[in-house]
Amino acid sequence: MTERKPFAITVQDLVARGRNDIPAELITSTHLIYNSPAALAFNSPGAQGFGVKRAGLSIPGSVMILIGPGCCGRNTTILSEMGGYSDRFFFYIMDETDIVTGRHLKKMPQAVCEVVDSLPEKPSVVMVCMTCVDALLGTDMERVCRKAEQAAGLPVVPCYMYALTREGRKPPMVDVRRAIYSLLEKEPRQRRTVNLLGYFSPLQDDCEFYDILKAIGFNQINEISRCADFAAYKAMARANVNFVLNPESRLAAQDLEQRLGIPSIELTRLYQVSQIHNQYQALAKALDVTIDDAPWLEKARAVVHRMQEKYSGTTVAIGEMQNGNAYEMALALTRYGFVVREIYANLGPDDFVYLRHLAELSPDTKVYSNLSPSMLYYEGDDVSIDVTIGKDAAYYHEQAAHLHWDEDIQPFGYAGVVSLLNRLEEVLLERKKR
Amino acid sequence: MRGLWKYISPFAPDQSGAAAVLYGLDGIVVICDAGGCAGNICGFDEPRWFSGRKSAVFSAGLRDMDAILGRDDRLVEKLCDAAEKIDASFAAIVGTPVPAVIGTDYRALKRMAEKKLDLPVITIDTTGMDYYDKGIEHAYEALFPAFADKSLKPEADTVGILGAVPLELMHPGDIEWISQSLAEEGWKQILLFDEIDDYRNAGKATLNMVVSPAGLKAAQYLKETFGTPYELHYFGLDAVVDFDDNLFAGKNVLVIHQQAAASAMAAMAEEAGAARVMTASWFMDKPEARYENHVVLKEEDDLRDLADNDNFDLILGDLYYRRALPNFHGQYVDFPHFAVSGRG
Repeated sequence: MTERKPFAITVQDLVARGRNDIPAELITSTHLIYNSPAALAFNSPGAQGFGVKRAGLSIPGSVMILIGPGCCGRNTTILSEMGGYSDRFFFYIMDETDIVTGRHLKKMPQAVCEVVDSLPEKPSVVMVCMTCVDALLGTDMERVCRKAEQAAGLPVVPCYMYALTREGRKPPMVDVRRAIYSLLEKEPRQRRTVNLLGYFSPLQDDCEFYDILKAIGFNQINEISRCADFAAYKAMARANVNFVLNPESRLAAQDLEQRLGIPSIELTRLYQVSQIHNQYQALAKALDVTIDDAPWLEKARAVVHRMQEKYSGTTVAIGEMQNGNAYEMALALTRYGFVVREIYANLGPDDFVYLRHLAELSPDTKVYSNLSPSMLYYEGDDVSIDVTIGKDAAYYHEQAAHLHWDEDIQPFGYAGVVSLLNRLEEVLLERKKR
Repeated sequence: MRGLWKYISPFAPDQSGAAAVLYGLDGIVVICDAGGCAGNICGFDEPRWFSGRKSAVFSAGLRDMDAILGRDDRLVEKLCDAAEKIDASFAAIVGTPVPAVIGTDYRALKRMAEKKLDLPVITIDTTGMDYYDKGIEHAYEALFPAFADKSLKPEADTVGILGAVPLELMHPGDIEWISQSLAEEGWKQILLFDEIDDYRNAGKATLNMVVSPAGLKAAQYLKETFGTPYELHYFGLDAVVDFDDNLFAGKNVLVIHQQAAASAMAAMAEEAGAARVMTASWFMDKPEARYENHVVLKEEDDLRDLADNDNFDLILGDLYYRRALPNFHGQYVDFPHFAVSGRG
C-alpha cells in the first residue's frame, strides 16, 4: 500500500542507530531529490544566497563569463538584478556544435577580449565559470584560461559549477573558495595580519572576534568581502594565519598553506554560549596567548537568561536554509529553554556530536529531510510551532512567526547568539501583535 | 561574436518549457540532472511552484559516476522508490544537458522504467540548449498520444487552449484571466491542459485556441486525430498599450516577443495607424504564426544590429531587452515575456 506521509525519525532513534546507520531517506544520493520551495537552496544555491556564480565574483573588480548551455545561466537574471551584478556577468551560450567539436574552447580568448573591450574600465580578473557539460567533456580549462590570459593581458581564472560533483572530494562551493584565493601570490608575511576565510560577505560588524583578534595583536584583519579593491585583495597574501570559519574553506586554506606557507586554524560557528567560550580558550591555547572574552560572554549569558525567563517552552522548527548548523542550533536553543519540535536538514556523521546531546535533552525532536520525495505529503498541521528558523522551515509552518536568518552578513560568536535571540524575540513579538 | 551574450541573460530553456506543461498533471516529473536544472525550473521558471499547489517535481540527483558509467538502472531504481511513496498517474523523465552529452537512450530508459513501474512513462529529450518553446512542443508531443481518449467526440461548449503556460505569457496570472474571459464568452468547458483529465478529454474540444507557436504541432495533431479546428489567439494585449491613445500613428514600430504575441500586437499596431511594423523573435519560427515583416533573431548581436540605432520610433518588447539597446533613442514600451525576464 502506498505510504502517504513524510519520512521522519526522532533524534533518540537516530542516535540509537548511530552514525554508520543513517536512514537512506536522509542521504541525498539514495533517492530522487524533491525540489520543493523548501529545498531550493540545495538544488540551486545561485538562486538563493551565494552559489558558484555570485561567489566567483567576490574578487574586487572581477567579471565573469559563464560558458555553458543557456539553461545554466538562466537564474543569473536574478543575480543581475541584485545591485552591482548586472554589468559583471557575460555568457558564452554553447550549442550542440560546441559540444561535439569543442569549438567554444578555441573561441574563449576572443570572447574574453571582447568582454574586456566592451567595459568602460578594465576588470581586475575575468572568472570563467564552467558547467557540468565541460566536466563531462573533460575540458582542461586551466589551459584555455592561460591562452585567454595571454590574449587579454589580465588574469583569467576558471571556476567550476559542476553540480555532478556535489558529494565528491571537491564540491563546487568548496572549489570556488579555492579559486577566489588562487590569485594570491607569495609575499612576505606580516605578523599582525590575519585572513578570515569562509564567507563571501563579512561577519557582523559588532562581532567580538574582531576585538579579540585585535586584543591579541592582530591589527590587520582581512576578509575578501571587505577588500575595497584588487590591491587590498592581493594584500591578503601577507597574512600570518588564516582563520577558517566554514569547513567549505578548508581546501582553500590548504592551498594557501602549500603555495604561500600561511597556516590555518579552524573555528566553528556555534550558538551554544559555553562552547563558544571553550572554543576561544582553545584558540588562546593554540596561539599561546590569553583571550579575555568575559565581557561578551556575560552579555550573551544575560540575553540567554532573559530569553529563558520569557520564552521557555516556546516551540521551534529549524531548517537548514539559514546561517547555522541546524543540529547545533537545536541543541543550543533546547539548552536555552526552547522546545525544538522538528528539524529539516541533511545529516552527516559529524552532526552526531550534537545529536548525542540533543537526544538526552529532547529525544522526541523529529528530523526530516527537505529533499525526501515523501516530503510532498508534509502538512505540519498536527504539530504546533510558535517560531520557525530558516526559509525552509517557514515554508512548512506558515502560521508561525518566521526568522529566516539567512542574511548575507554572517553571524558569528557571542554576537551571533545575541543577534539570533534578539531577532527571535522580535519576530515572536511581531507575531503576538498580529 | 557568435555565442557571446553581453547584455541579456539566457532565456528559459527547453526543460523549463517541458516542466511547465507537466506541472500539476499528477505525474512524477523527474528532471534528469544533477540538481541545478531542477532548481532553476522550480526556483525561477515556474511561478506556480510558490502558489502552494504541490507538484511532484524531482531532480534525479545525478552524480559524476552516474553520468560516466551511464547508470540508468539507478535512476529507474530511484524512480520506483519514489513511485512507492507517491500517488501518481504517470511518470515523466525530462532531459537536460547531462543526458544530452552522454547520449542517454530515452526509449530504452522508458522501456526499463515501464517494466518496473505500474505506470505509463513518458520521456522528453530536452537538452537545455533549445528554448522553452521547444520543450513545450516536445511535452505536448509526448502527452497527447499517450493520454488523449480517441473515442471522444467534439462537444459544442468545449474549447481547448494550447500553450497557455506562464512562460509564454506576460504574467503568470494571465492563465486565470484567459479562463475567465472564455467563460464570459460562453464556453462551458475550458481545457487549459493543466490537468491530466484535460489531455484525456482533448477530443471533446470543438475549437483549439493556440496561444503560442509551441502549441501549433499539438493543434495539428488534434486536428488530424479528432478533426478539431484551431486558431492562433493571443490574449491580453490591451494590458500592454492603450490602442486608442495614438501611440502607433505614423511610427516605425518593432515588436519583439514570441511569434503569436508579436504578430497579434503587430496587427493591432498596423490597425492603429503605424507607418511600418516589423516583428522579431528568438523563439520558434512557424510560417502559420509569422507576421509578414518578421526577422528571426539568433544571437544577441542580431538584435543590436537591428535596433540599437534609430531605425525605429517605437519598440515593444520585454524590458530586459532594453539594456542591449543603448543607442536606441525612441520610445520603448514594456511588453513582458515571462520566459525572458521571469517577472511575475
